[in-house]
Amino acid sequence: MKWSQFFNTSIGKKLLVGATGLFLCSFVIVHLVGNLQLLLNDNGEAFNTYADFMAHNELIQLVAWGLKVAVIIHFWVALQLTFSNRKARPVKYAVNPGNQTSSWFSRQMAIMGSILLVFLLIHLKDFWWAMHYGDLPKGNFGGKEMTDLYSTVYTAFTTQLWLVFLYVIGMIGLSFHLIHGFKSAFQTFGLNHVKYNGLINFLGVWVWGILIPIGFALIPVIIYLKH
Amino acid sequence: MVHYNMNLTLKVWRQKNAEAKGNFENYQVSEISSEMSFLEMFDVLNERLINEGKEPIAFDHDCREGICGMCSMHINGRAHGPWEGTTTCQLHMRAFKDGDTITVEPWRAGAFPVIKDLTVHRAAFDRIMEAGGFVSVNTGNAQDANNIPVAKDIADEAFAAAACIGCGACVAACKNSSAMLFVSAKVSQLALLPQGQPEKKSRVLNMLAQMDKEGFGSCTNTGACEAECPKEISLTNIARLNREFISAGFTYEK
Repeated sequence: MKWSQFFNTSIGKKLLVGATGLFLCSFVIVHLVGNLQLLLNDNGEAFNTYADFMAHNELIQLVAWGLKVAVIIHFWVALQLTFSNRKARPVKYAVNPGNQTSSWFSRQMAIMGSILLVFLLIHLKDFWWAMHYGDLPKGNFGGKEMTDLYSTVYTAFTTQLWLVFLYVIGMIGLSFHLIHGFKSAFQTFGLNHVKYNGLINFLGVWVWGILIPIGFALIPVIIYLKH
Repeated sequence: MVHYNMNLTLKVWRQKNAEAKGNFENYQVSEISSEMSFLEMFDVLNERLINEGKEPIAFDHDCREGICGMCSMHINGRAHGPWEGTTTCQLHMRAFKDGDTITVEPWRAGAFPVIKDLTVHRAAFDRIMEAGGFVSVNTGNAQDANNIPVAKDIADEAFAAAACIGCGACVAACKNSSAMLFVSAKVSQLALLPQGQPEKKSRVLNMLAQMDKEGFGSCTNTGACEAECPKEISLTNIARLNREFISAGFTYEK
């Protein structure tokens, strides 16, 4: 089987979705730890220094473009799979089993992924695009002139309550997506082993599915409440 | 178990042939014994329909012992009905109460076209088996015990995979109409044993390619197949299928 054929089979496509998905899972941890610096009471010195480093370090920039490619592959291949899965059942059942045979989360991957995508586009436009191509205020932090992303974030969340809500909804989407998605990726790689399933399930549900999304969602909420 | 009789309303999918547009028809059945099997209840109804000069309801069945894999009804949204690890023929009417309305549909999948009423064409499974679900050489008579060493737990696992009767409940239960549980059982029963080793790479690649070609969906690991499988085939088989497919895809030269 040629590579082109291999990655066009159902399992080959799922591998692409699973691998890019886990890569993105590794990203959200780094992103959360970095962004929690927004909550430090230092007028943005730590966060801005971090943001400046992330925006100018070449290795980081390379990984950042890799992330965007991963998002596109993850979205595009998952979309193809979703459509072919829908097509596989041309006549629907009159009665469906609901939660009797599968978890609700496992059936909502496409919808939660779509919520995440909308969130991601708005998020990138507001902060990533603005940071790289926009005209943001500058400031002097730690003796260096740099973009003041910190105050941009504070302005955004303290003046636009709807944006705070959008972020909370986006993170609910992330939570529900990862509760199933994280462990599902391991199953797709064939990693199903009685000695590790408990750990994978725990990490997927509690760390990536609940803890990390709550951590992200708290940032805009706390910023809004602080002002 | 206390015996009781019940009156039921059946909402059954009727479809003249593969091309016809089907619809649900309602039937009242009375004095159904709690000790009847689900198919016996259909026998009673069909006998009445024949006596009334009407077309009986077509449904698949053969052994009625839960081992042949022919029966295939989607009952109240559940493949083979509400009981776990049970085929439709082994489902008994004590699963229902007097006055219940029961909706009965055929397996729904593009790869399983309806032949008539509740009967679907499952030849797609045969073609997947023909693509590689076998050992090509004659293995001769049964070997003496321990002639080929196989660990007991591995033999048990292979046997559990081989319990698949190919009924198609996994496809019927899956929201994507995926046949992964079936294919994984058929790949696993050979991949686990020494006799399956020489052809293991071409087998998994060919069977999966055929599965995709038949128009089954892909697996999203919801676990609905495992929940509905009358032979309780485990999801670990799907993980094994993925492993076999990935390692064959990365290393097989053809």
